[in-house]
Amino acid sequence: MHRVLYAVLVGLVGAGIVHVVILLLLPTYSQRDAWSRLTEMADMYGVAPIDVMPGERPLLRTADPFFHSVACRFDLADGIAHVGADGKVPFWSVSVYDRTGQNVYSFNDRTQTGPSLDFAVMTSAQIVEVRKELPQSLEQSVFVEANIGEGIVVVRAFIPDSTYERPVEDFLKTVDCGVD
Amino acid sequence: MLRTILLVLVAITTAIGVGAGSVWVALESQEGVGAVTVGGWTVFPNIGTPDADPYSKARVAREGVLALGRAEGLTFIAQRDSSGARLRRDCSYLVEGTAPLARFWTIYVADTHLVVLDTTRRRPPAVHSIGLLRAADNSFAITISARPAPGNWLSLQGDGDFLIALTLYDTPVASNSGVDAVDLPQVLRGACDA
Repeated sequence: MHRVLYAVLVGLVGAGIVHVVILLLLPTYSQRDAWSRLTEMADMYGVAPIDVMPGERPLLRTADPFFHSVACRFDLADGIAHVGADGKVPFWSVSVYDRTGQNVYSFNDRTQTGPSLDFAVMTSAQIVEVRKELPQSLEQSVFVEANIGEGIVVVRAFIPDSTYERPVEDFLKTVDCGVD
Repeated sequence: MLRTILLVLVAITTAIGVGAGSVWVALESQEGVGAVTVGGWTVFPNIGTPDADPYSKARVAREGVLALGRAEGLTFIAQRDSSGARLRRDCSYLVEGTAPLARFWTIYVADTHLVVLDTTRRRPPAVHSIGLLRAADNSFAITISARPAPGNWLSLQGDGDFLIALTLYDTPVASNSGVDAVDLPQVLRGACDA
């Protein structure tokens, strides 16, 4: 009897170790993270709508029914990721995520002067390069410094009621994701 | 010899079973490590950011979700009413009070995995602060029930538990550390279907 209790005790100590190991390895080995799910929806630099259908498991943690969203994937090893969009909507916001789905940078329409969206994601090294000689295409852009490799950009726009459906759709259709 | 093998097996099964099970339980719950509870509402202020604790990081990876950034907004989740009972779809609820400072906010109903509930009616399963009836003192009351109600009504259908998600957009609450000092509306339970 004592030996069984001893075995269970050893097992419980082992359980603590297993708990910590699973917890720390989960982010690295998850097969169905946001990146993998986006891979099925669009190619690199392809803009995919990630709207919320009622009853479906959403890609966004806050699957707000009043929002329409699009996402694209990029790789800073290819060059600077340049994202733009044009249009007038009541509210838009942008998040930049790293490969594991962690939010590394976010901003909204009040961060940018002017109604249109124009920003470039780059690493510290790329920023130094760009500042030496600013390319014309990046003159108006907001610079987002993110020392990541692959990443995800999500653009969300608010639809207060159905009359805003068209302008928001048009705005999200203009979202363009490319390498500079 | 056989007894030794048996004992080792007991130890290993306990280790793997309890270890994996406890991770599952910790990540399945909407409360838990990394959560801040404010007046019945739960919020993960750091979820999805590099500052997050290991449990929040594992949660994001396991669910494959992208969380709102600090400049975007902050989501508060209620899974219990003011008396501490779980929210049930066959009851009616009143969400009453004021919301913290934000450019606007939305409230929607979702199942326990945060999937938006299908109302099967031609109404959005949500309300937002810009299209809301308010009292003279700027407070509001939203009825969440299966049966239509006067005033602000959020339609609910089906049975089982559900969650209420309140999202503040472009809010100073997200960027300051004042998450636990905000005034959130109360969730009061009304009548239930027997």
